[in-house]
Amino acid sequence: MNSDQGQPTEPARTAATSRNRLVDLLLGAAPLALAIALGVVPLGVLLLESVELGAYPDFGVVLAGYRAVGSSVYLPVLIRSLAVGIAVTVGCLLIAYPVTYWVANHCPPPLRVAALVTLTLPLWLNYVVLNYSWVWILARGGLLNTVLLETGVVAEPLELLFTELSLAIGFVYIYLPYVILTMYVSMERLDRRLIEAAHDLGAGRIRVFRDVILPETLAGAIAGTLIVYARIAGAFATPEILGGAGNQLIAQLISDAYLQILDYQLAAALSYVFLSVVLLGLAVGVTQRDVREELKQW
Amino acid sequence: MVSLPRAVPERPLLLGAVGLTMAFFYLPILTIVYLSVASSAQPSIPIEGVTLQWYEEVLTDRRFVRALANSVGIATVSAILGTTLGLLAARTIVRSSLPRLYRASLALVIALPLFIPTVVLSLGIGLTAGYAGLGFGYGPIILGHLLWVLPFSTFLLTARYARLDDRLEDAGRDLGAEGVELFRSVTYPLLRPAFIASLLFCFALSLNEFLITFFLAGSSVTTMPLEIFGKVRVGATSFLNAASVLVLLFSGVIAIGASTYEWPR
Repeated sequence: MNSDQGQPTEPARTAATSRNRLVDLLLGAAPLALAIALGVVPLGVLLLESVELGAYPDFGVVLAGYRAVGSSVYLPVLIRSLAVGIAVTVGCLLIAYPVTYWVANHCPPPLRVAALVTLTLPLWLNYVVLNYSWVWILARGGLLNTVLLETGVVAEPLELLFTELSLAIGFVYIYLPYVILTMYVSMERLDRRLIEAAHDLGAGRIRVFRDVILPETLAGAIAGTLIVYARIAGAFATPEILGGAGNQLIAQLISDAYLQILDYQLAAALSYVFLSVVLLGLAVGVTQRDVREELKQW
Repeated sequence: MVSLPRAVPERPLLLGAVGLTMAFFYLPILTIVYLSVASSAQPSIPIEGVTLQWYEEVLTDRRFVRALANSVGIATVSAILGTTLGLLAARTIVRSSLPRLYRASLALVIALPLFIPTVVLSLGIGLTAGYAGLGFGYGPIILGHLLWVLPFSTFLLTARYARLDDRLEDAGRDLGAEGVELFRSVTYPLLRPAFIASLLFCFALSLNEFLITFFLAGSSVTTMPLEIFGKVRVGATSFLNAASVLVLLFSGVIAIGASTYEWPR
């Protein structure tokens, strides 16, 4: 009956394939163009901005911006930002390990999705507001000091706000949901029978954690760390709202250079030094096969 | 010997850690809610009287309402364009006949904002927009937000696209559907939950985005996060608390709505 709908002839199929390819190429062009124009081109512009190209007759490259970064206050701020990023990320991991282990293994299955949504909902709330909410916990007249004074634990209100402590709490508050989300993915993949087998063979909880859970989830933890520590090191709102005036982080310096003192070259050089460190960390991660697989998840 | 099924041993310490984490997440939010109904403009704990006056002031404050309207407008455009572009990207990554290297490169370029520090990208976009003559304002903000939401929409839709059964599209083709018609009648209905989730998540991301906007807004355009940030720097007040609660409520409702369709990963 359908003799005319049999196999298309070879040239017809080739023509159809090449037409499909053209359609595929055109449909993919729009997101590609956007991502290049807004992601790749700005990085190039930033690189050009960070150096001064010498005019005729000497086409040297002047690195005044980078020299400024190398000297004076900028480098210690960068190092401090990275150190804060790493410390907070480690803190988040210490919380996320038991929490995600419970959700993946001990939470009653009907409640699992609800637990996960509750623990990651803050990702979708406004982080400026979330940072601000801690002002009311940590201020001199805030919730914590009121409780401590009323119960007689302290006689004078503690100075908690605009300190290293408030900065660290704010960072954990904002970034813990990210870490929980990534760690949960690793925990969910972890084969429960391995844990049971280890228990059956007489391993205690610490042995089980060290020899089974940790090795199986480490790649995920490292991949998450490489992403999250950089986000913390480059954060702007949290140090502005909860950090002290004396200890700025790198994003605040970049913002000041760009928006306040209008020194674009300095802002761009600062950005590139920071970016280089972040990319170096990712590059090291990518060389480890397990970590590379986990990074693809992001 | 038959091994008996064992009950999962209860772990009170683990449960305690989960409880503390929940308290850590939600106690500050509850505190703000509590303080937002205080009768004095500079509340203290415990509050002295209860009033909804601050909510009324926020909702009739022209600056705040305009900032909120700007944010909703920008978020709507970002959600629709971001999801459309994400759909095109997801289709290219999962389904197209193009070389593998090309598809992997597209995924990598789209994922850039997840790896490159936002402050660096914001500065780069700001400088580029300056050279391109776009300056500051709505144009650069929307472009920046599009870049920000694109990885989320792309990877949410990619995950869904990859789970679709090829044979359904083949069947559609056998029945004579082609191109747009095939997408409308076969592919889209199958992608719909992820599509709606993507719209809502992109909306929430753009609505709450602060840093990119801070770098690209200039002095003439304000959005809701910028407005709140400006007020936070001046000082904590009942007005700000009420505004904060409204913002949390708004973004929370959108996120929970989206989660009924699909929670990211």
